[in-house]
Amino acid sequence: MEKGGLLPLLDDSIKEIRRISGGSSDLLINRFVTGGIHCALLCCEGMVSTSVITELIFEPITDIPQQKDSYGLFHYINEQLLLSTDRPQVNDYDTLFRLINSGFAVLIAEGVDFGLAFGVQGYNSRGVQEPSGEGNIMGAHEGFTETIRTNMSQIRRRLKSPELVMELFTKGKKSHTDLCFCYMKDRVPKSLMEKVRRSLDDVELEAILTTGYLRPFVENGSFEIFDSTGTTERPDVLCSKLIEGRIALLVDGVPYAVVIPRLFCESFQTLDDYAYKPYYAVFMRWLKYAAFITAVLLPSFYVAIVMYHPELLNSTLFMLLVEAEKKAPLSILTEALFVLLMYEIIREAGVRLPKPVGGAVSIISGLIIGDAAVNSGLVSTPLLTMTALSVLGGLVVPELNPQVTVLRLAFVIAGGTLGLFGISLLACAVLVNICATEDYGFPYTAPLSPFKSKGMGDTAVRIGMRKMQKRDFTVEEYYE
Amino acid sequence: MNSISKRQLAALLLITDMFELFCFSGNMSLETLYGVLAGIALQLLAALVLASKGTELKKWAAVFYLAYAVFFGGTLFSALWRTSGEVYIPSESGNGVWGRLMIAGVIALVCLYSSSTGIKSVARASAIAAATGILCLGIDFVSAAFNADWSNITAPERNGFIYEIMRGTALSGSLGSMAVLSGTVKGERSRAFVWYFTAKAIMSAVLILTVLSVTGRIMDITDFPVVTAAQLSQPFDAQRIDALFLVVFAVFAVFSIALQVMTGAYLIKQIFPRFVRWRSSAVIVMIIGAAWVISGRELLPVRACAASAALIIAPLGAKKSAA
Repeated sequence: MEKGGLLPLLDDSIKEIRRISGGSSDLLINRFVTGGIHCALLCCEGMVSTSVITELIFEPITDIPQQKDSYGLFHYINEQLLLSTDRPQVNDYDTLFRLINSGFAVLIAEGVDFGLAFGVQGYNSRGVQEPSGEGNIMGAHEGFTETIRTNMSQIRRRLKSPELVMELFTKGKKSHTDLCFCYMKDRVPKSLMEKVRRSLDDVELEAILTTGYLRPFVENGSFEIFDSTGTTERPDVLCSKLIEGRIALLVDGVPYAVVIPRLFCESFQTLDDYAYKPYYAVFMRWLKYAAFITAVLLPSFYVAIVMYHPELLNSTLFMLLVEAEKKAPLSILTEALFVLLMYEIIREAGVRLPKPVGGAVSIISGLIIGDAAVNSGLVSTPLLTMTALSVLGGLVVPELNPQVTVLRLAFVIAGGTLGLFGISLLACAVLVNICATEDYGFPYTAPLSPFKSKGMGDTAVRIGMRKMQKRDFTVEEYYE
Repeated sequence: MNSISKRQLAALLLITDMFELFCFSGNMSLETLYGVLAGIALQLLAALVLASKGTELKKWAAVFYLAYAVFFGGTLFSALWRTSGEVYIPSESGNGVWGRLMIAGVIALVCLYSSSTGIKSVARASAIAAATGILCLGIDFVSAAFNADWSNITAPERNGFIYEIMRGTALSGSLGSMAVLSGTVKGERSRAFVWYFTAKAIMSAVLILTVLSVTGRIMDITDFPVVTAAQLSQPFDAQRIDALFLVVFAVFAVFSIALQVMTGAYLIKQIFPRFVRWRSSAVIVMIIGAAWVISGRELLPVRACAASAALIIAPLGAKKSAA
């Protein structure tokens, strides 16, 4: 892209713009004369609002009295007309194209080597809707959208403090994606800010199409099973993170915000926890911990105990399992792997297919295939029950679903090969991996290890709001 | 090396001590408890002397502690193999030498991975493992207490007090790591040592008293009293929960061997600064080799002497602190 200034001759400049754009059909160039000066208004079709551009730009601009030169014209526009609140100056073709492609209209004139841009964005976008992945009963029902400025306004509406800073910048050599760096300047640790900025400086991607493109740059490079950065599609949740001194990264075109840093215990916290009475919130939280453990370990414990440690079962249960498993033609380990992989295939099919068909797939697979598999004796009923319970447990903590899926399979293999001993060995490796997860000096396992008694008030239990307001917690307390 | 908290150090060391207690073989009596407590008291006194010295070791002391880590790592592996018949480990029980090697290989892999992540993450993980382990042991032994006969505690001693002190002192696989890693502890070292030895004394006392009360009558026919006590703990009429013990046993085994590997790797770095890669692998190979040489023997006098030497050498082998 051309870095030099705009060409002063209008015809040359327009030729240059056409050359750079390759004659792209969506680039609109409207030539007109105003104040006695030849001008051109450039914009991208579909990116600007036709009514806004007509009412706020064309009508006032064509009424400008005679000017002695283009500088006088631009001075008049800048001083006398309030065409748009967002009016950056354009000094090179790189900026010109970036602004046009972001929904600005750019005015260039004969005899000047710069242009004026007006923010008249009017592209179609999805409205604010309820988040699909983070269900909530008592809280707001608004989620982020694909438009970064809408998302910024949603945060600003909830945090009206001047301490909230939002820094817009672009990344992506080809996509020029707008990113927004959000933080509370009185709460965020300064060192964290600097380190995250430095990490983002390393981004030299051609396009940023989802948060997943950026997360590896702000995460520790070593092998981590769990993510040390989080995402949320809820502005209210993001605001609570910002107040705790975290940094958020919004990406234009993505209805999720990246939160840095993230802790393991946060996966079990929802906004509803703070809407209910503490005793119920504590119950729900422990239920989620239990569901997570069940999701990861239940099938593997079943396989290990039935294959290697049947003496651990009481006689009634033992006879029941023997009766069920003796009909199954496959070994218990193969059977368990088969059922788990079948579930994953069905789940993936349900997610990728169009919604009406996806629902049908779930019903067919759940009722027909499941029932047929049990009736034919291919899969035993207890194993199917264990798998179903485990899968259900995983759905309680949707944020950890990828990790739960892989760990469940790994633990089944470990349990099927080495029994409880294998499960314990794998548990050690996973535990060490979780404890090694650390981003910018914030341990993922805090406040459990390193132990911070103050943090346990919102981890092991959920203390009342009166106590919580005295806590004045920021994430800096966990820094090591 | 990164810094760790005194709780994390205590957890790391305590796990090794608990694992050694799990593999404790032979008779137990009240004298055993006294012996263990006396051993702990002596170690605490020596550790407090160490706390006033510098944290860096002279080269000859580093070589001694490397040998100590390899030797005690070997005894831990050997103890694991000896106990595997009681605590059912599938492949090991059925496949003889190859089963043993396979189990050693798998444990070695987990230890290698753990030590590759650094002391900080292993210390954090060990704090969680120790807390969970103590909770599981608590459940196991509280239920054992329901089947206990408390008159067994006063069962006559069989081995003599000096022998029991020697056995107590021999339960010191973690002493070398304590001397080497104590320099990484945040805050006062003496407080960290008091923390650790107090926790060790309490845990050992609770464990031995429960074991005595549960297995007292069958002590003579019991090879591993702690394992037997765990197996006898049945809180429900028809439900066994010693699976919990098996899980704790395996987790503690991994962490205690990983501790020796990390200590050894750290010392190799000090002794041979140019030896950068494969340090942990070298240590684990040496440990498995040592376990093969030890091959199921308890070597109580050797272990007790090594532990005593570790405590004497710690203050002598420390470089003068800069302060």
